Amino acid sequence: MGSLLLSTAMAYGAAFQLNLQGVRQLAQGGTGTAVPWDASTIFYNPGGLSALKNVNAYCSVQFLSANTRYVETPTGSYSADSKAKTYTPFNFYVGGPVRYKSKLSLGLGVYTPFGTGIKWDDNWRGRYVIQDIQLQSVFFQPTASYRFNDVISVGAGFVIATGNVKIQKAIPLQSGGQDGMAELKGNAMGYGYNIGVHLRASDNIQFGISYRSGVKMKVKRGYANFTVPSSLSGSFPYTAFKSDINLPQVVSAGIGVKVTERLGLQADANFVGWSSYDSLIFDYETNTASLTDTRSPRRYKNTLIVRLGANYLIGQKWTVMLGAAYDPTPVRDGYLSPDLPDNDHIMTTGGFVFKPNKKLAIMGVLEYVFTPVREGSLNEAQFSGRYQTKIINPGIGLNYEF
Amino acid sequence: MKKLYILGLMAFVASCKPNIEPEKPTKGDGVDFSSYVAVGNSLTAGYADNSLYRSGQENSYPSMLAEQFKTVGGGVFRQPLLPGEYGYPSAKLVLGSRQGLCDTAASLAPIPYTGALDTVGSSINIFNTAGPFNNMGIPGIRCIDFVIPGYGFLNPYARRMFASPTGSRPVDEVVVAKPTFFTLWIGSNDVLGYATSGGEGPTAPGGTNKISDVDQFNAAYDSVLSNLRRKGAQGVLLNIPDVTSIPFCTTIPAKGLMLSKNDANLLNNAYNSLNGFIRFNEGANYFIIEDSSVPTKFRHIQEGEYILLSTPQDSIKCKGWGTKKPIPGKYVLTGNEVTKIKTATAAFNNIIYLMARRESLAMVDMNSYLKTLQTGITFNGAGFNANFVSGGAFSLDGVHLTPRGYALVANQILMAINNKYKSTIPLVDVNKYKGIQFP
Repeated sequence: MGSLLLSTAMAYGAAFQLNLQGVRQLAQGGTGTAVPWDASTIFYNPGGLSALKNVNAYCSVQFLSANTRYVETPTGSYSADSKAKTYTPFNFYVGGPVRYKSKLSLGLGVYTPFGTGIKWDDNWRGRYVIQDIQLQSVFFQPTASYRFNDVISVGAGFVIATGNVKIQKAIPLQSGGQDGMAELKGNAMGYGYNIGVHLRASDNIQFGISYRSGVKMKVKRGYANFTVPSSLSGSFPYTAFKSDINLPQVVSAGIGVKVTERLGLQADANFVGWSSYDSLIFDYETNTASLTDTRSPRRYKNTLIVRLGANYLIGQKWTVMLGAAYDPTPVRDGYLSPDLPDNDHIMTTGGFVFKPNKKLAIMGVLEYVFTPVREGSLNEAQFSGRYQTKIINPGIGLNYEF
Repeated sequence: MKKLYILGLMAFVASCKPNIEPEKPTKGDGVDFSSYVAVGNSLTAGYADNSLYRSGQENSYPSMLAEQFKTVGGGVFRQPLLPGEYGYPSAKLVLGSRQGLCDTAASLAPIPYTGALDTVGSSINIFNTAGPFNNMGIPGIRCIDFVIPGYGFLNPYARRMFASPTGSRPVDEVVVAKPTFFTLWIGSNDVLGYATSGGEGPTAPGGTNKISDVDQFNAAYDSVLSNLRRKGAQGVLLNIPDVTSIPFCTTIPAKGLMLSKNDANLLNNAYNSLNGFIRFNEGANYFIIEDSSVPTKFRHIQEGEYILLSTPQDSIKCKGWGTKKPIPGKYVLTGNEVTKIKTATAAFNNIIYLMARRESLAMVDMNSYLKTLQTGITFNGAGFNANFVSGGAFSLDGVHLTPRGYALVANQILMAINNKYKSTIPLVDVNKYKGIQFP
């Protein structure tokens, strides 16, 4: 029966790297390597943690909804919309100097740097490629930071990554006109690190460099469940599977300039090593003539993200923020899949900080992502079309400075 | 001011929704789909699983095309639909569990459908109640049959749908529905009968198991095409597939005789007198076939020769066919016969090619396309190949296609039309139709 189960095209794109780890950073186009605003610097630049004067506790949540429409090409009258769903990536950080004026700071970050999901109608035309895919990750990062002097501080965090994956798609094996189905579920685990250097060159200029390592997310024992015609059930047993997903390394550099007492500007660049995601392999514990291991080429390319942000202090209590970023897609032509129909992202952001007193900050952000319409195909599945995605992503957060 | 806020909010919400729309189909230049007529044989009728039945007709490639043509001004498309699903005249094949005489266990195999006989009355002519018909696919018809007067007498499918079944020639019947556009896929039966009978066509005159004469083919094809073109109709020609590449010929491998060391020795002893002309080894062996051209009248089959799907499996397993007894010639295509088939197919396809060029019409090279099935075709994530049953494209008779297979054909035709007339007719969603159905 050959490889009836074409390898599931599970993919991560620009959209999969969420870049939503701090409200203030997001509101300023995702910049944050140079300026340690609050405890969220544990993610953006661990070196900035010891620049914080006091212990900070931070939490935030986003409400991300993405709508994608597929239109058949080259000719056609068919279109399909992904099912509306709101995702809630969250972040929690706590950290600061071990005692007042200490050079050593410690902290912990819990955040969701990668995640994606898209659900199409079960009977849509791409059902043999994907019906539903959900990927979540939560990273735990204990972090230490050391301030050598008023200018330079460094930091490092160890990353324990957990995640889970769920994939559902139809299989072209029919009984009474009904398709078969494959469901794959598994938990993933991986390790990495996050290091950074923070420089306060003067009262008005800051620099930051950080490196987040790649993380090999290992699904050691997922489960695959196949619904097929009864006469073929022996060929599609309930089986465990293994898979590895190589999340990319990210190198970031940033600068923050205080132009006036009230206006600050930041710029960041992120190099994202997406080429780590070369192919996706599913290794089934039980193989049959019909159920063979699959290797699906992804061939992601490395990308460079550019970010700009500004903040402006109004009065004593309010700050407004604006930002923009250009996040090019790592997905090559010929690999455009409906499980993540990615394209270049042009994001615009805005937000506010309200400080009712010296210790508490209440933050809000709104992100709107433009992705140009992309036409292309997933050559492996001979599935082509035009995709348009619109993302809207409001979020709220709190930071408390002890 | 408040209104302005509301408008702004609405615009914002709207901007969160994608707004791309599919291209509107366009008809193209110099073509009119208002009356589409499909001329052909069983492949055009929607024949599948060794019979003709209603859902097969409803999922014929001309029916799919007519559905797409409706987006660019296509009209009503009438088919001579049978009353039921049983199959006419004989039962269709379905996948079921079968245990042969010498099998130790049942396995999945094509077996005759055992549902209700719901095709009673199918022999009655329905032209006056349901015609004239746009699907002029007549199972069994050869190209050279199109010019035979009274063909309706010879073919029950023709008799059922013709305007004047007793006197007309098929070439007259195909224009009754006044085509403005046509597809023409004829000629397969001019060689298929020879192939499926193992090259053992009856010697009686009029037998349909002979390969048609090339000149007769040329004249008949010209006659059909000219008649279709007389009122200026546009159309697409399809050439004929090489029947030696379909599962009917390729499913039973020539070197498919598996023997133990002991059985091989026993057989070698039995054929000892032939000084090694017949020789068996442990493992895979070439079957023994009948061949009147060699002194022994039998020999090992060779690569490039085919054992047909019609070969009784029980005879191989229980009666020693292919080992102790040669497989009879009517179940085998020898090298000589294969050459004749290929030569004829090439000659017929050359005629079709020249006719398409003469008339400046698009031609779909179905021969090449169906050969690409050997390596596999993928459509929207579903894979198809030329393997029997598992390949998904060929139906259970190993000759005709499944609805999904026919949909792949329809898309080849649509691409040729879009290319020729600069039209943008949507392709068929292949996976909307059924593939092989498993129990």
